[in-house]
This record gives sequence, C-alpha cells and structure tokens, in this order.
Amino acid sequence: MLATARAAGVTGPALGLLAGTEALARTEGNDLEILSAALLLEHHAIALYGFGLKRALFPPGLRAYATEFRGDHQGHRDTQIAIIEERGVAAPPARDDYDFEHAPAGDEFVRLALEIEIAAQRAYTGLISRIRTDDYLLSAAFILVDEVRHMTVWQRVLGLKIY
Amino acid sequence: MIARRAALKAVLAAPLVALVPRADARDYTSAGEVLAEIDRLESDLDARLGGVAATFPAAAAFAASVRADHERHRRARATLRRRLRLTDAAPLSGPGPAGRATVDALRALTQDLVYVYAEGLPAIKDAQAVDILARHMVDDARHLAVLQMWMETEQPGG
Repeated sequence: MLATARAAGVTGPALGLLAGTEALARTEGNDLEILSAALLLEHHAIALYGFGLKRALFPPGLRAYATEFRGDHQGHRDTQIAIIEERGVAAPPARDDYDFEHAPAGDEFVRLALEIEIAAQRAYTGLISRIRTDDYLLSAAFILVDEVRHMTVWQRVLGLKIY
Repeated sequence: MIARRAALKAVLAAPLVALVPRADARDYTSAGEVLAEIDRLESDLDARLGGVAATFPAAAAFAASVRADHERHRRARATLRRRLRLTDAAPLSGPGPAGRATVDALRALTQDLVYVYAEGLPAIKDAQAVDILARHMVDDARHLAVLQMWMETEQPGG
C-alpha cells in the first residue's frame, strides 16, 4: 500500500500515518493533510482506469466495471476538491508524470487496479478515525464503502477469497 | 447539520456512484442510538441468512462467514459500550416477522446496515470507536458487494 501511496504522490504526515510511524492529532490542519492524501489516491486511480480503458487493457467482459469504478473515483475526486476548497485551500492537482506505458494487459492489469483499490481502502480505513469534521467524516465513510466494493469485485474476478 | 447534508449531497451527486440517496437518511445524535440501530439490523440480517442458505446451498459458506463477522462485531460493540459508559444492548425481541429470504432482501438489509454505519460515524465522537466501527463497516460493505455481484449474476456463488 505504501508503494502505491508514494506512487500517487502521498508524502509527509499522511504517509507517516499510513506507515504507522506518525500519529496525527485530530485538527483542521490534519484533516487537510488527510484530504490531500486521499485526493492524490483518487487522481492516481482515475489515471490508471483511464489508461486501461483507452488502451483496452481490461479484459473485454470487465470494461463496464472499469468504467463504473472510474466514474466513482471521479465523483470522489470532485467531492474531496469541494471539501478542500470549502476550507479556502487549493486542492493538489493530479501528477503529470504517471507512467503506465509498460502496464500489462488482461488479469495483470486488473491486479494493478486491485492494488490501487486496496491502497485506497486501507488509507481511508486507517485515516478515518483521525478526521475531525463531521462533513468530511460522512463523505469519507461513503467513499470507503465504494472502495470496498471495487476491491471486492476485482478480488472476485481474480479468484481471490472474498468471504 | 447543514454541512452534513451538503457533504452527503456532494458524494451522492457523483454520476456513477454506487450508493443512492435515501429519503429516510438519518441524522444520528448519539453513539447509543447508532449502536442500537446496528444491533437491530444485524440481528434481522442474521435471521434471514439462514433462509437464503437453505434455499441456495451455495450461500451457506457466505452465511456462515457473515454470521462469524457479526458475532465478532457484537463482542466488540459490547466492549465499546462499556468503555463509552453506554447502557448494554437492549435484548432484541426475537427474530422479527419472517422476512423474505431472497438475495435481494438480504442485499437491501445489508445496504441499510452499511448506511447506518456511514451515517452514524459522525455521531460517535470518539476516535477509537470510529476506528472500530469503520472496520466493521468495511466487513459489511464487503458482504454488500458480494450480494450485489450475486444479484448481477442472479445466483449465489455466481
């Protein structure tokens, strides 16, 4: 998860919290740290799904799921940006140097999608109790439910244990 | 609670988000209220799981797994209640009226349970309790995803 979080651009206290090396107090400032980290993971997921759909890297029968999940992540991104900007802060943009050129096709690409979903699910699960404000906590809870659905679907597709 | 409604609206305004707005979305005001509603829905869900497992043998392993998760959740909630100095869970008045034991009924009930967790977390006001209940919500969201996939393939295990 940490490798994926780093690849998404997560740094600083939020990465330390995910790594278990840092404890964040429940403050407005740390809410923003968490929001920014979550937004970077959403940017990363949108870019990965977009690349996979554009290059037809998802197995043909799974394109509908990939399209749905990309839409979910776009919704999450827009929500995070709105919450950050509501606090008078500029939201971090997507990286401009994602490199998926050598990404494999088929089930191996699904594994890449699963990795980002696992990272997002673990990040939201790990960070949610540090959120101080009710509006963001509520949004994060609903987003987490979506991430679990994405993760479970890809695990099922890959024949992994889901219950 | 205007901010809460605005946040929920923002999340649910996403064009393809899996969750849909409910007319009966609740503003929970206390941890005790949230835990009581979780108790009620979880108990109802467990009672109906047996019916589905009897109808679809392929669902038996799933039903056993869900019940094991819920038993673990109940123990954790009992500990939480003690730490938060809340009253013990009220005894449930036995299984409710025999509900439909269909995959869709289970899915709807599981979705209601997941919504209670999501809508209830802001009312908990205790970081450790939020952490525990969020992890329980993840388990139930996984159950919900399994049931949604069964709905899509129209059969348990599909």
